[in-house]
Amino acid sequence: MSEQNISVALDRDHRSLSLADEKVAMEVKDWNLYYGTKQALKDINMVVPEHRVTAFIGPSGCGKSTLLRCFNRMNDLIDIVNVEGEMTLHGDDVYAKEMNVASLRRRVGMVFQKPNPFPKTIYENVAYGLRLQGINDKSVLDETVEWALKGAGLWEEVKDRLNENALGMSGGQQQRLCIARAIAIKPEVLLLDEPTSALDPISTLAIEELIFELKKEFTILIVTHNMQQAARVSDYTAFMYMGELIEYTDTDSLFTNPKMKRTEDYITGRYG
Amino acid sequence: MREWFKKGEHWIWFSASTVSISVVLVFGLLAMISYKGLIHFWPHDVYHVEVQHENGDREVVIGELHDSKVKEIDDVAAPHGKREIPQYLFKVGNRDVYGIDFRWVSSADIVGGIDTLEKDIVVVERYEYGNVYGHIKSVTIDGKTVSDPQESLALLSKQVKKGTELHSEIKYIEKIEIGAINYKIEGLRLEEKKLRANGDFNDEEAARLNAERAEYQKDFDKHHQAAQDLYKQTDTLGSVELAIAGNKTLTVPVKKIVHFWQPNNFSLMERVGFFFNSVGNFLLDDPREANTEGGVFPAIIGTVTMVMLMAVFVTPMGVIAAIYMSEYAKEGIVLRMVRISINNLAGVPSIVFGIFGLGFFVYIMGSSIDELFYSYALPSPTFGSPGLLWASLTMALLTLPVVIVSTQEGLSRIPRALREGGLALGATKSETIMRIILPMTMPAIMTGLILAIARAAGEVAPLMLVGVVKLAPELPLDMVAPFVHLDRKFMHLGFHIYDVGFQSPNVEASQPLVYATSLLLVLIILGLNLGAIMIRNKLREKYKSLDN
Repeated sequence: MSEQNISVALDRDHRSLSLADEKVAMEVKDWNLYYGTKQALKDINMVVPEHRVTAFIGPSGCGKSTLLRCFNRMNDLIDIVNVEGEMTLHGDDVYAKEMNVASLRRRVGMVFQKPNPFPKTIYENVAYGLRLQGINDKSVLDETVEWALKGAGLWEEVKDRLNENALGMSGGQQQRLCIARAIAIKPEVLLLDEPTSALDPISTLAIEELIFELKKEFTILIVTHNMQQAARVSDYTAFMYMGELIEYTDTDSLFTNPKMKRTEDYITGRYG
Repeated sequence: MREWFKKGEHWIWFSASTVSISVVLVFGLLAMISYKGLIHFWPHDVYHVEVQHENGDREVVIGELHDSKVKEIDDVAAPHGKREIPQYLFKVGNRDVYGIDFRWVSSADIVGGIDTLEKDIVVVERYEYGNVYGHIKSVTIDGKTVSDPQESLALLSKQVKKGTELHSEIKYIEKIEIGAINYKIEGLRLEEKKLRANGDFNDEEAARLNAERAEYQKDFDKHHQAAQDLYKQTDTLGSVELAIAGNKTLTVPVKKIVHFWQPNNFSLMERVGFFFNSVGNFLLDDPREANTEGGVFPAIIGTVTMVMLMAVFVTPMGVIAAIYMSEYAKEGIVLRMVRISINNLAGVPSIVFGIFGLGFFVYIMGSSIDELFYSYALPSPTFGSPGLLWASLTMALLTLPVVIVSTQEGLSRIPRALREGGLALGATKSETIMRIILPMTMPAIMTGLILAIARAAGEVAPLMLVGVVKLAPELPLDMVAPFVHLDRKFMHLGFHIYDVGFQSPNVEASQPLVYATSLLLVLIILGLNLGAIMIRNKLREKYKSLDN
């Protein structure tokens, strides 16, 4: 899809969006996060609308990645992290004691900044999440792998070499493979942590195009340091600064008519 | 020149020279062992020299030239007041006649040269008393004597061939067939002891056991009789009469002859053939004459079995410990202490491990196992005495630090992104470790295993305490279930070297054997390592693109 097509797509989506009208996928209330004694997130309150793309922008170290990793409890891996507040996924308490982290992560998938395919075949990479769930039926696996690779726009490129090592693919292909791997287990929410920062412009375009397609089926949260990207792909944008959520509204309003001074300074490039 | 120093060139030269010294040392060592070891198998020429003693007596010495050195003798007439006299070491054999195998001869005493190589000298290798060097006088079979040189030679080789066949038949019957029956009879004996210990022994059982025993005994007698018949046949093979140095005659029964050859008569091809034949015999024969002759087959089997078992024990132990330490244990003072202990464990002298193995494994664990499971066999110990299992476990402990450390290094090299990738797909931590991290750590684990094998195969001291013996009656690996006999004592190449080289009554004769066995040990370690390295390289290939 060319630049022009994207703008057409944007135009098609261009309508007055309002958070109040959306169905809620995830909700965050009074969210605080501490690295040891240092507070990294301060009183975050937001709702994540279903089947929309929500982007997080802000200068480096503002906590946008940290917040993203809260949604699938990736921060649990770091011993010194403490969180307080409330976070729900379709009404379920994400941080509840009885919440199984592994099954939560099946509902909230994640794609990382750097492509991280496993040193296995392309097929096995995509099938990995399914095999974890004990699905080993060949026909089910075949079908899902094809579906996921098609969903990630990779099928045509790799259908003849599914049994080759995934590490032999290009960076952009690897990242799309990671997206295919994440959507293969059909999560409710997909977290993208700067998915294009390690990629070239062509691969970036392919991924952005993909995000457009994917939001029909998934709720997408994307962290990006690239404001143009946020403007191109997202329906809603949250601007974060120093661990605080400064402004959160529909993308058009945020970029054309920011309410807060700091947002305006940032998107006009006065700092950041 | 100053320019040269300024650039730091001298440091480059310095480090390059140390590297070359190391390389030269390694290859020098290999070359020396190879030369000294392999020369043992090459057919030596047999010299015929005449020696005149100070009292005027003359004597013929026949033997292989093994060594020479120069002795200095005071002589005023010589330029420096000293004269150099070469001394030659001859292997004269015929131990049953002369009492010693080797003899120094001073060149001053030799009449004529030492370059006489008589074509018809034969060397006869015997099952006992070593080699005979001499000339064939006659061959006697069934009272008939043949003294024609050509004819007797042909007859002798025919008879020796027959004898070799008979011996291998006897060996098969005694070792394999009678061995298996003995094993079963021993099983019956233990069964009876077990029944008695449990109070279940009654007339019915007794009758059953006796019937079985009688069955086996019948079998045994049959095979025993067959062996006896063969032995009798060997007696009819006849004998050969040899003229040996010192105007003596020696009669050797053909049944005592392993093989014989005429080294001075060999063409180059025959020499090469003889060489490979000797190497083959060395690898596949059982040792004879207190290990100083024959082959090292049981030692090879013992070494390889022990090392393999060690690998089976140490790999899971080391890998699991490393996974716990780097993936689960909380960083802190305790973990640091454990790490320090493991690193120091690698520096503990191996004999200390041997003592530990003997004290803990053999005496405590072995005795407990015997009391719990083999109490019917007591007081004769089953696992309560040194054996293969305890030796492998002791070696596994000895090499554990190596495996742990290299596995930990491998684990720390796996990028964080891959772990997160696994977790983000809904895998639990253990699933991520099992499915992603562990397969990728395999090359590092293999590296650890290679180092462990190299260390374990070469270690001798601890093994002497926990299971290695000078001569084991049975192999630890055979065709009788359960195939690997963990309770058996075994032979080991490293200990074999020590035993042959320093504990044998005939050190000089066995010296070449020491080198040959050393070479073999090095080659076996090399072979085991190459196998592991090949597996590792295959694995590395798989994850190659991960490094960039």
